Amino acid sequence: MSQLGRVKQWNTFARCWHLFDAAWQNPLECSPTIEKYLKGLNKPIYHPLVDCGDHVVVINSKQIAFPGEEWRRRAYFHHTGYSGGATWTPAWELHDRDPTMIFRKAVYHHMKGNLFRRVVMERLHIFSDSNVPEEVMENITNQIPPLRSIPKTLSSYSKEEIEKYPKIIDYPEDFILSKN
Amino acid sequence: MLTLRTTNRVLKVLKTAQKCEQSFHRWLAPTLRELKRRKDIQGPEKPVHRKTFLEWNYDTEIYAFSKRLGEEFNNDLLQQALTERSYIIREEERQKNVGIEQPTLNLSDNKELVSKGSDFIDDIVKRYLRTVLPRLPEEGIIGIHKYLTSIETLSHVSFHIGTSELILCAEFPVEKPTLSNVLKSIIAALIESSGDSRAALFVRDFIITQIADKDLHQFWEPEEPIKLLSEILARDGIQSPEPRLIGCSGKNTILACFRVGLYTPDNKRMIGLGFGETVDIAHEMAARDSLRQLFGTLDNILLPFNLKLDQLCASSVKNLFLNEWSQKTLPFRPTHFELRQAKEISSN
Repeated sequence: MSQLGRVKQWNTFARCWHLFDAAWQNPLECSPTIEKYLKGLNKPIYHPLVDCGDHVVVINSKQIAFPGEEWRRRAYFHHTGYSGGATWTPAWELHDRDPTMIFRKAVYHHMKGNLFRRVVMERLHIFSDSNVPEEVMENITNQIPPLRSIPKTLSSYSKEEIEKYPKIIDYPEDFILSKN
Repeated sequence: MLTLRTTNRVLKVLKTAQKCEQSFHRWLAPTLRELKRRKDIQGPEKPVHRKTFLEWNYDTEIYAFSKRLGEEFNNDLLQQALTERSYIIREEERQKNVGIEQPTLNLSDNKELVSKGSDFIDDIVKRYLRTVLPRLPEEGIIGIHKYLTSIETLSHVSFHIGTSELILCAEFPVEKPTLSNVLKSIIAALIESSGDSRAALFVRDFIITQIADKDLHQFWEPEEPIKLLSEILARDGIQSPEPRLIGCSGKNTILACFRVGLYTPDNKRMIGLGFGETVDIAHEMAARDSLRQLFGTLDNILLPFNLKLDQLCASSVKNLFLNEWSQKTLPFRPTHFELRQAKEISSN
């Protein structure tokens, strides 16, 4: 192979590193998007037998969101292998124990079960908060846009912003809004 | 002993087969096994020349060969082109062994034709390359010419147009130098039978097309490309280019990939792009890319393989050598796009 051909191949199969902020995101909704990048489905060179997937670094996995009653209703099954060894852990409990586990399981179960699944999963790096090692951050060259916009909470507004906010009515002076 | 035992077993099987009627041949599998064993002991079959077959007709084969190529050959010349010196010597020896004092063979060998054909191929290949690659330095032309006229390339062409069984020579299977010599002599025979222009088309179609899908810089790679590029640009009055890192992925991993662009300092124009596993390799590849652009040998160029003899430049014309190469002193010659267009207009 000529020298140019060699570096062309190297450039074509270079692995990119993507950043994904999981705050306020539903892991079950995110997993198809994450899978696309992990397997390289977005690339024109994609083939199931070609190893062309990218790395994805997920941050803030502690702040994921489940809709409705999911935290209480969703149970994660585990069996130790011994008789009577089955356990069903509610999602909130599992998330308390390991904040990266629910996201990892969501991506893992979304992918088709074959011999490549565990290899692909090795390229998913999940961090519970935004403290990512420097050498990992230096690799990152792209950010995956969040699927849901993060709403602004009432507590995040400053006092000035609240005062400037347009009002429809003026409350009477003796009207109690909150206890403190 | 083993053979005897096996044969006994076969005979036994045959006997039992006669006695009671079976629905299948019980002797078949042992017989095939025995035949296979004997064949394995013999070893692999040696290749035999086609002429040892009964219905081999050499004259017909030669006639069919010229028709297959679509050329008009003088039959005697073609016969001479396919005859090697070694064959004549061997035949004379054979006749002497039989007892003939003065062996007579109405054959002449292809020695003269080989040298004539070799000169013709050299001339046409160089003229073609200089016509279609006017910006490539003479060193590059020599490198590509060396590849096209090497024994490897010529013997490959010669073998695949089917000369290997028609050649009259002492050795079998035919060796590569012989195959390449015969191709040269066939071209010389074609010059004498149908003329220069027809032979030039033959060289173009069979030999020059061997570079069609190849990267031209694999035959000639300029050494120290970064230094060379700045020297060439200095001759044109451009300052040496400034390398910039324009992209990298997976910087801290073993699969890191860097992209380096070369920019001219005065008008900030990108003149080359390279990539590689380290910044140094990417820088060197960027310089090579820039040289490719200057020399007009990018890997996506389409060479015009439709040129005729009269469209090629003269034999005396030479490209610039590397130590004097600059865009200002580049001779004016039509590019291949213009050559292609000229061809299309003339055909319409």
